Amino acid sequence: MIKKLFTGSDWVDALKKTGDLYKIFVPVREGDFHNFRPLEQGTKPNFDFYNTRLSPKSIVYPQSERMFESLNDPEAPDKGILKEAAKDYAPRAIVGIRPCDAQAFQIVKRNFDNPEYRDPWWVRRFESTILVGLGCNDPCPTCFCSSVGGGPFHEEYLDVMLYDLGDKFLAKSITEKGEEFLSKVIGGSPADDTALKKAEALGPAAIEKITSTLSSDKLKDKTVTGLFNAPFWDEVAFSCINCGTCTFLCPTCWCFDIQDEVYGKQADRIRNWDTCMSPLFTLEGSGHNPRENKFQRVRQRFMHKLKYYPDKYNNGVQCSGCGRCVRYCPVNIDIRQVAKLMNEY
Amino acid sequence: MHEYTEKIRDAAKRLLKEGKVDTFIGFKKGSVPMMNEPALITDPDKADLLHWDSNCGLNLCNYLTKRTDRIGIIANGCTSRNIVTHIIENQIKREQLYIVGIPCTGMIDPRAIKRAVKFKEILDVEEKDGRIIVKGNGLEESFEKRAFLQKNCAICLHRNPVIYDEMVGEKAPEQQEIESFKDVKKIEVMGSDDKWGFFTRMISSCIRCYACRNACPLCYCTTCFVDEAQPQWVGKSIDPTDTMTFHILRAFHCAGRCTDCEACERACPMGINVRQFTKKLNKDALELFSWEAGMSEDQRPPMDVYKTDDYNDFIK
Amino acid sequence: MNEWQPKITTFLCNWCSYGAADLAGVSRFQYPPYFRIIRVPCSARVSPKFILAALRHGADGVWVSGCHPGDCHYLEGNYYARRKFALLKGLLEHIGIEPGRLNFSWISSAEATKFAETAKGVADEVKALGPAKHFIKTRAEVA
Repeated sequence: MIKKLFTGSDWVDALKKTGDLYKIFVPVREGDFHNFRPLEQGTKPNFDFYNTRLSPKSIVYPQSERMFESLNDPEAPDKGILKEAAKDYAPRAIVGIRPCDAQAFQIVKRNFDNPEYRDPWWVRRFESTILVGLGCNDPCPTCFCSSVGGGPFHEEYLDVMLYDLGDKFLAKSITEKGEEFLSKVIGGSPADDTALKKAEALGPAAIEKITSTLSSDKLKDKTVTGLFNAPFWDEVAFSCINCGTCTFLCPTCWCFDIQDEVYGKQADRIRNWDTCMSPLFTLEGSGHNPRENKFQRVRQRFMHKLKYYPDKYNNGVQCSGCGRCVRYCPVNIDIRQVAKLMNEY
Repeated sequence: MHEYTEKIRDAAKRLLKEGKVDTFIGFKKGSVPMMNEPALITDPDKADLLHWDSNCGLNLCNYLTKRTDRIGIIANGCTSRNIVTHIIENQIKREQLYIVGIPCTGMIDPRAIKRAVKFKEILDVEEKDGRIIVKGNGLEESFEKRAFLQKNCAICLHRNPVIYDEMVGEKAPEQQEIESFKDVKKIEVMGSDDKWGFFTRMISSCIRCYACRNACPLCYCTTCFVDEAQPQWVGKSIDPTDTMTFHILRAFHCAGRCTDCEACERACPMGINVRQFTKKLNKDALELFSWEAGMSEDQRPPMDVYKTDDYNDFIK
Repeated sequence: MNEWQPKITTFLCNWCSYGAADLAGVSRFQYPPYFRIIRVPCSARVSPKFILAALRHGADGVWVSGCHPGDCHYLEGNYYARRKFALLKGLLEHIGIEPGRLNFSWISSAEATKFAETAKGVADEVKALGPAKHFIKTRAEVA
């Protein structure tokens, strides 16, 4: 296990020097919020944030991605043959990911990498990604990671844990992948006992600060049809405007739509994130739409996250408690309130 | 403004008990600071959930489209103008509505407040005597509400509802000497390349969530143009040209109908100033056709009528 | 002939402007060959979607022409179209499409000379602006 101490600027310099070995993603300030961007010459990493606006799921699972391409040219010998689009699977590291977003990858992995189905793009990208997590010294009032199997300093889903000690960062490797990465980040000094003690104290202090909870303990015992036919869905769903904000900002949502686009002689098969909130999500070729009404779609999202997923995988809810949907839903539909309604029904 | 809460609750209770309306649409207090959730009340005993303050920036007219029941609804200036537009465009009938008018002194811009406290975590926001008091962990600051109004409220010329069945208070004095289109004029004087750069940068963070479209009361088409296939006018990916096409065409569909309620910008999770598209159209509609959306039930919208001597200079 | 030739998508109303183009051809009036003409029943048929689609496909210019106000074959179509185009031109120029790429005219079916002259004028304007730089959709710029 490697434990190293860096000053803020030394850490960034050391990361820049790994340039040819790893593609590094760091949080960058863009206007009013932060997003993960590749660390390049002029990039100014900024670790002074609660969490990024968009989750880093787009690094492993881009919002729009070309899956296949083919030529539409009648003269071309390989006309119409679908070829896999070239991708970059070079090793990369997401530095500064919060433990909730890292946990989200494990949740999504159950969908994209299981004995029945393997999504080749997601799997290859995830396997080449190293998660260097930044523990949360100051969880937000909307964070509830500790209610859903995570925590502000939860190590289970990370390769390296970064502790923000104020004046310095302490980097601690957790997995073999993380140890290899940290050994290539040249610089810093071995962590001394004072620093280690300070780092160890951050976790419990952070957990004390979490005020939000998601109640889901009784959901397993309820029947699907019971919850499905509950009377509170109309009230929950009224304000929903069926946009895609919750689904696109959520690190655990995984649905997508495939579209073909043809421009001139080039044809592309593109995969885009899709949202179950959209009325078209379940529109069938026949014209029938099983989830025509708004309350059906809103019900679907919460049932999927809090009932169908836990029932199927027996491993907690499909939520990592990041709080983005709570903060950015335009009409303030709160998953914590809905979970309470479901849990106590 | 929050003093209207009691009057709104009383009105809702009374209307529901007397059977004048089947449902009452208003806001209930949100679970995060500076947010309120649109709510539908059918039980007069639940009317105490209703709440009104300077964070009611969403446009409730969005929830009226093609409803068939008798509805009580609260409406300030811009919401009432959208109701008028809805009536003119046959999305709701006047007879179905009982409008509780609210003289509005403006909504606060949550993003401006967050910037002012340098993004420290806000736990509670209170308003008192024209001041906004913001509290958090180790944070307590007070701001003058007037300095933190939403962008559209700062230039609002129609604070009072244009259509109502009862008012919860005295009419608010309308603002004077307002320069409505300062931001549009600033862009108009730029060169074409600068304009293109400005707009491309502005929408570069768009994630095509369609929150702007869905929060807008004007966007009620059963099949939006983005979902049309054969021909497909705009692709579904986040390609920048497709994203620009979406914003231009959506703004154009609201040409002459937009009341500048800022629900679109409020809804956008990425904080994009989408009003820059519709504001230009509002300016042109005012200057070329002397038109302001939603002011009267008797006038047809500008794209629905014509004058034989309309602006013709741009035609060869 | 390697000099760039602009592509100008042209929408002509069947009754007046298309007739003018026809007459110009029959009368052997010369005008530049850059125009791809699409015949529509009335200038009011031209939706902003068409103009945007033309620009997305790489048109260097768009020209819409219809009957003179008051002379529309369908009585009022061009009046509605005039309002629509006024707002559309304003919006597109506001976002950065160069003035001169979007052109509108009223040409009656007898005005073959006006057709040829307007065509020359539109061609000159678009040529001076150069190839279209913005708003062209080729392959989706995605991961």
